Amino acid sequence: MDTMEWVRGSLDHCVKCTICETFCPVSNVTPLFPGPKYVGPQLERFRTDDGSPDASLDYCSGCGICTTVCPQGVKIAEINSQARAKMKAQRGIPLRDRIIARPSAMGKVGTPLAPIANFFLKNHAFRWLVERTLRVHRKAPMPLFAGRTFQSWARRHPPLTPATKAIVYFHGCSANHFEPRVAQMAVAVLEHNGYRVIVPRQDCCGLPLQSNGLFDDARRYVRKLARNLEPYARRGYDIVATSTSCGLMLKREAREILELEDDEDLRTVSAHMFDICEFLLSLHERGALRTDFRPLDMRVPYHAPCQQQGHGIGKPALELFGLIPGLEVVDSDVACCGVAGTYGLKTEKYDIAMEVGAPLFRQVTAVATEVAACDSETCRWQITRATGIPSVHPVELLYRAYGLS
Amino acid sequence: MSADAVVVGAGLAGLTAGVRLAEAGLRTTLVGKGPGAMHLAPATIDVLGYAPDLVERPAAALPSFVAERPDHPYARLSADTVAASAEWLSAHMPPLAYVGTLEENYLLPTAVGVPKPSAFVPEAMAAGDLRSGSRFAFAGLRALKDFYPALLADNLSQAKLPTGVTVDARAVHLSDPGTEADVSPLGYARMFEDREFRSVVAAELLPRLEPGESVGFPSVLGLHEHRTTWLDLQDRLGRPVFEVPTLPPSVAGIRLFHALRDAFLAAGGRLLIGSTAAGAETKDGVVTHVVIQTAAARPTPIEARWFVLATGGFAEGAIFLDSYGEVHESVFGLAVSGVPAAGEPRFVPRYFDDQPMGRAGIAVDERLRPLDADGNVAFRNLFTAGAALGGAEPWRELSGNGLALASGFAVASAIVEWAS
Amino acid sequence: MATLHTDVLVIGGGSTGVGVARDAAMRGFSTVLVDRGDLATGTTGRFHGLLHSGGRYVVKDPKAAEECIHENVILRRIAADCIEDTGGLFVSTPIDTPEYADRFVEGCRAAGIPVEEIPVAEALRREPRMNPLISRAFTVPDASVDSWKTVWACARSAQAYGSRILPYHEVLDLTVEGGAVRGALVKDRRGGEDVRIDADFVVNASGAWAGRIAAMAGCDATVLPGKGIMIAMNHRLVNTVVNRCEMPADGDIIVPIRTVSVIGTTDQKVADPDDWQIARDEVQKMMDAGENLVPGFRRARALRVWGGVRPLFQDKAEGADTRDVTRAHTLLNHRQRDGVERFLTITGGKFCTFRLMAEDTVDALCAEVGVEHACRTADEPLPDSEPGRYYWLGSRVERREPTLHEDQLICECELVSRRRLEAAMLRRETVDLDDIRRTIRLGMGPCQGGFCIYRATGILHQVEKIPGEAANRSLLDFVQERWKGVQPILYGDQLRQARLDDWIFQGILDVAHLPGGWVGAA
Ligand SMILES: Cc1cc2nc3c(=O)[nH]c(=O)nc-3n(C[C@H](O)[C@H](O)[C@H](O)COP(=O)(O)OP(=O)(O)OC[C@H]3O[C@@H](n4cnc5c(N)ncnc54)[C@H](O)[C@@H]3O)c2cc1C
Ligand SMILES: Cc1cc2nc3c(=O)[nH]c(=O)nc-3n(C[C@H](O)[C@H](O)[C@H](O)COP(=O)(O)OP(=O)(O)OC[C@H]3O[C@@H](n4cnc5c(N)ncnc54)[C@H](O)[C@@H]3O)c2cc1C
Ligand code: SF4
Ligand code: SF4
Repeated sequence: MDTMEWVRGSLDHCVKCTICETFCPVSNVTPLFPGPKYVGPQLERFRTDDGSPDASLDYCSGCGICTTVCPQGVKIAEINSQARAKMKAQRGIPLRDRIIARPSAMGKVGTPLAPIANFFLKNHAFRWLVERTLRVHRKAPMPLFAGRTFQSWARRHPPLTPATKAIVYFHGCSANHFEPRVAQMAVAVLEHNGYRVIVPRQDCCGLPLQSNGLFDDARRYVRKLARNLEPYARRGYDIVATSTSCGLMLKREAREILELEDDEDLRTVSAHMFDICEFLLSLHERGALRTDFRPLDMRVPYHAPCQQQGHGIGKPALELFGLIPGLEVVDSDVACCGVAGTYGLKTEKYDIAMEVGAPLFRQVTAVATEVAACDSETCRWQITRATGIPSVHPVELLYRAYGLS
Repeated sequence: MSADAVVVGAGLAGLTAGVRLAEAGLRTTLVGKGPGAMHLAPATIDVLGYAPDLVERPAAALPSFVAERPDHPYARLSADTVAASAEWLSAHMPPLAYVGTLEENYLLPTAVGVPKPSAFVPEAMAAGDLRSGSRFAFAGLRALKDFYPALLADNLSQAKLPTGVTVDARAVHLSDPGTEADVSPLGYARMFEDREFRSVVAAELLPRLEPGESVGFPSVLGLHEHRTTWLDLQDRLGRPVFEVPTLPPSVAGIRLFHALRDAFLAAGGRLLIGSTAAGAETKDGVVTHVVIQTAAARPTPIEARWFVLATGGFAEGAIFLDSYGEVHESVFGLAVSGVPAAGEPRFVPRYFDDQPMGRAGIAVDERLRPLDADGNVAFRNLFTAGAALGGAEPWRELSGNGLALASGFAVASAIVEWAS
Repeated sequence: MATLHTDVLVIGGGSTGVGVARDAAMRGFSTVLVDRGDLATGTTGRFHGLLHSGGRYVVKDPKAAEECIHENVILRRIAADCIEDTGGLFVSTPIDTPEYADRFVEGCRAAGIPVEEIPVAEALRREPRMNPLISRAFTVPDASVDSWKTVWACARSAQAYGSRILPYHEVLDLTVEGGAVRGALVKDRRGGEDVRIDADFVVNASGAWAGRIAAMAGCDATVLPGKGIMIAMNHRLVNTVVNRCEMPADGDIIVPIRTVSVIGTTDQKVADPDDWQIARDEVQKMMDAGENLVPGFRRARALRVWGGVRPLFQDKAEGADTRDVTRAHTLLNHRQRDGVERFLTITGGKFCTFRLMAEDTVDALCAEVGVEHACRTADEPLPDSEPGRYYWLGSRVERREPTLHEDQLICECELVSRRRLEAAMLRRETVDLDDIRRTIRLGMGPCQGGFCIYRATGILHQVEKIPGEAANRSLLDFVQERWKGVQPILYGDQLRQARLDDWIFQGILDVAHLPGGWVGAA
């Protein structure tokens, strides 16, 4: 591929306008992080393969907002991720980051032991111990194991018949191990619209590994996943994801941050990848979405997470909500809830993450009558943990409005 | 995706067009790679500042200005449109009251102390008007590296002002609380929103002010709660307080951006920030789709009936000059006018001399539709607004926001009229 | 008129001149050095940045190659702080003569330059952006070197040994009495006053201007000015010096230096050494050459272009191509050549041989005045340099990191903090921001001063307590100076930047209407 298009090459487009800085949720709340322009295109000019001595870089949460708003096309967050990976490779990656970066491995261990594992996760003393030993903040949101994975449910789930259309569902680790309900509702909503839902075998997309600087491992995971999904994409099936961050990983992040532009499987998968709301809205625009929604009488704060905004598709969930009678939705204009994947779990970053999310939490508390809606799992857990208000994936509201429960 | 109208560009031109289209009931999608120059520019609506001598009365100056420059975009925009667009803006943005008329330019101090002509200005800047002469104290903030009140005051005392007007200016350096050495304008804007901070600043400043002095601050007086912040400071200091624009980011401009963005969303517009318009599909002299690049490795066409190109000029990259000296418009492949012939220099060695490429941009008909190389309308349903327009050198004329606002306003009128 | 007395007067504050001043001072002579401008504003400040291994010259000019490798080893020892040990590659690109590579290796061996062939795949692993179609690759000990830093370090060392350094002092005439040069008449271009400098000995180290100075004493020295242009690209496209393995040609080397990579250069005979015009076709030639070494080069961001003039000595003024003149240096003893005593001209050579040039010169000077002092410059490191401790690209970041909360960043592109800027302003005793720029790289990054010029002017106004008008002049001169070097390469990203800068200077600040105005304005 053209080397001028590499992530690093994009620093040439920076005109120093500071627009990214005005949006960065982290540098807006803490002086510990000198901001995207500084650690991104600016310092990158001072970096060689020997790495960079700027420890403050590690405060970047990787939320990607800077890249989304940069009018000149600088891949700021991607530059930061690559630089951080090099820095961590030199300084050593903490055990904590190695553990929280492997949700599927955690899931495999935790699922069969769900009751015990969940007991520990809810136990204050245990969380205190984890904080002391691993530096995972004791108050940080941690999901509970569901006990039965979505995969095992899907294997026994009878396919929709008769069906004229089929679609592939990429559920990601979290729906598999922690929130199979979200995945089941997604399947129900798709089936309600006449789709036979194919659930191929799938493992982690490597995103948490990537954001913790474990690039080689991340590449292994994402390539394998792409290899599993590619045959469907090649045959023309669209692939939908409920995890907006993992969907973005397959659409773009792996290609750019992990420098896998030449991976043909990944490119093919990316070309067929849709966020579930993006997909449903496109159905609606073609007149193919069922609109037999029953009224939902509630007021819901909706937060489009930072990774959702990275898709560059606007906020399709909002438009879908607009189809549901009675539903009043208040869009949050807050860019980030703070957690940004695994960032907010870390002891040294927990307070920053909470401060980033504070305006969102205030809004959610003020607006919600019952639930809040948000596309990303870690953000939902963060919102719930911070406000006590249950947070749901947008498909859950569609599911309810379709009367599928 | 589909819409009635697609606007490409989230600057003042694009958002103005977008808000008006959405409010007229058109399903409007606005695609912007990022926010535009509003985040950087002072938020004053400068209609015409130099022609090339200082313009005191823009309404009076415009007719001869366009008569001498038939290719200037103002030659396609009547003075009424310009005035109407400014009126629309101030009526529309209650939190951001604008003051001024097309009849007379304000003279507001810049951060180096040059009296700069502006027609419509945010009310919190108006008290800096130098035309009547006055006594000013300019407040320097300890950790803000983007404002040097001593140099400002020094230059202002020497500035060329209307005959008979004298200005007495001095600097007051504040040692506000805080330990960080380097605080951005936005950082200060947040600090000023805090009552406690304002009271500390006022307490330090008040005893050092002299009777009759107005106080100029760098433009950092609050973001979301700007008006309260400004009025409260004015109260505490018991005298007019005003903002002086300084280096990017522009807090005043961000306020304007927020107001327009919110109005667009409130009117039901679809906003796609972070995606790039990378091309278009056309048929029989009509644009049918704009093709955008989202995160996925596939082009996403947006179908619509009307399209607005508001991608800014060379500054935003949608119109670009390559290393061979060729100019390209990257979304619709439009012809770019005002480019010197091949082999001729694009720029000259002395910065303030007339630059041969200075006025390059999209040439348009009287309805602001782009023209092809032969001077014919390129696409019947494509309109252009803002800094993408050729024929102007807005940074020299000081006409940037005036042009962007009026042309954004005008293309929306043209489309709405067509739609009904 | 003020009068100064000194043992040795050195004319020219480039690398050669400061090298001579330092060497002479270390050997016990009182010395005065004058330059018509600031130090290193002649060819030395307008060069390519390459600490030659000598590889470039092994086939064409073996004598120059030997000098280069000899000095390369010494400079790594005495000026490590000014050198980044990037290493160098010679690669055979598709347009190169394949046979040249073997001659190149032979030449390196003969000149004593360590050379090693590496597999193409390994070369591409090290420099992934390099043309994948290269057929052979060799490593040599090239490096990049900062001439400003070196010159200032030499000057500081010379001062420590008692030299007086007088920038902005132009030699108007030489005093010749009784068949010997006795000193010079000098104009202080800042203070405006003329100064007479009486000297026992005069060394003409004025580079491409050496012929003019020699003529002032009625001596003859033909120096052919050979102009070359270089383009700095916004970031490091390569981290190793990359040379085409071919006879020297236009645009055959990319040097990674500091934050940029510089492609160069051309070689064109010019009549006037002050002719630094950049022609459009020269820029195009560089771009094509860049594409050959790094595909996509034309789409990368060009930051700035400049020209320099080589001092190439030739006994007869003929010869069309200046590339054919030796790059080894020449020492002219005017007693022997012209019958004028106590006057030497040192010219030609390279930046990287400046120490050797100085040694030869001061040896000759000692012989002329009949004293014996040994040269010590090959052993005594320059101030701040320690053998083996090379400059490192990340060093400014490293210095910035612990002061993030205590010090403001004024020039963001080149990481110049406020404290550093203020210290430079006080140390340099100048109100010219361009002098400050060369000392600390203020305004030299991508935005070319768009953000820092206003800040620096505001600080200058405070620190130097100068009137607004003087500050304005400095601001406007700096804006013009920055424009001069970008306008010939304004396209793509750099044009976007220039537009933002236009808006900052003319829109937000409206500097065109500052009191005092722009002196050069039409
Ligand atoms: C630093 C600065 C100072 C200024 N000062 C003044 C002043 O004092 N007075 C004054 O009147 N004016 C000033 N201006 C100018 C004024 O703000 C602009 O001229 C005017 O706002 C132009 O607006 P615009 O909407 O045409 O373009 P812009 O604001 O440049 O917006 C262009 C938009 O297009 C988007 N875009 C570009 N290409 C694509 C693509 N391919 N796909 C999708 N989106 C794309 C960009 O992301 C951006 O959102 C200043 C501008 C700047 C930058
Ligand atoms: C394009 C180009 C690229 C080059 N690249 C390299 C490279 O990569 N590596 C390398 O080793 N070499 C390189 N060189 C060669 C090297 O730069 C020069 O040989 C070296 O810098 C010359 O130094 P100098 O001190 O002799 O001359 P200069 O640096 O030119 O110094 C002469 C000084 O004399 C002063 N002067 C002139 N007239 C008067 C007067 N009347 N009164 C007072 N002072 C006066 C001038 O102001 C000037 O500062 C390059 C040369 C060029 C042209
Ligand atoms: S990275 Fe983009 S948004 Fe940030 S300063 Fe550079 S050009 Fe502006
Ligand atoms: S990725 Fe998010 S936290 Fe990191 S620099 Fe960009 S905006 Fe800031």
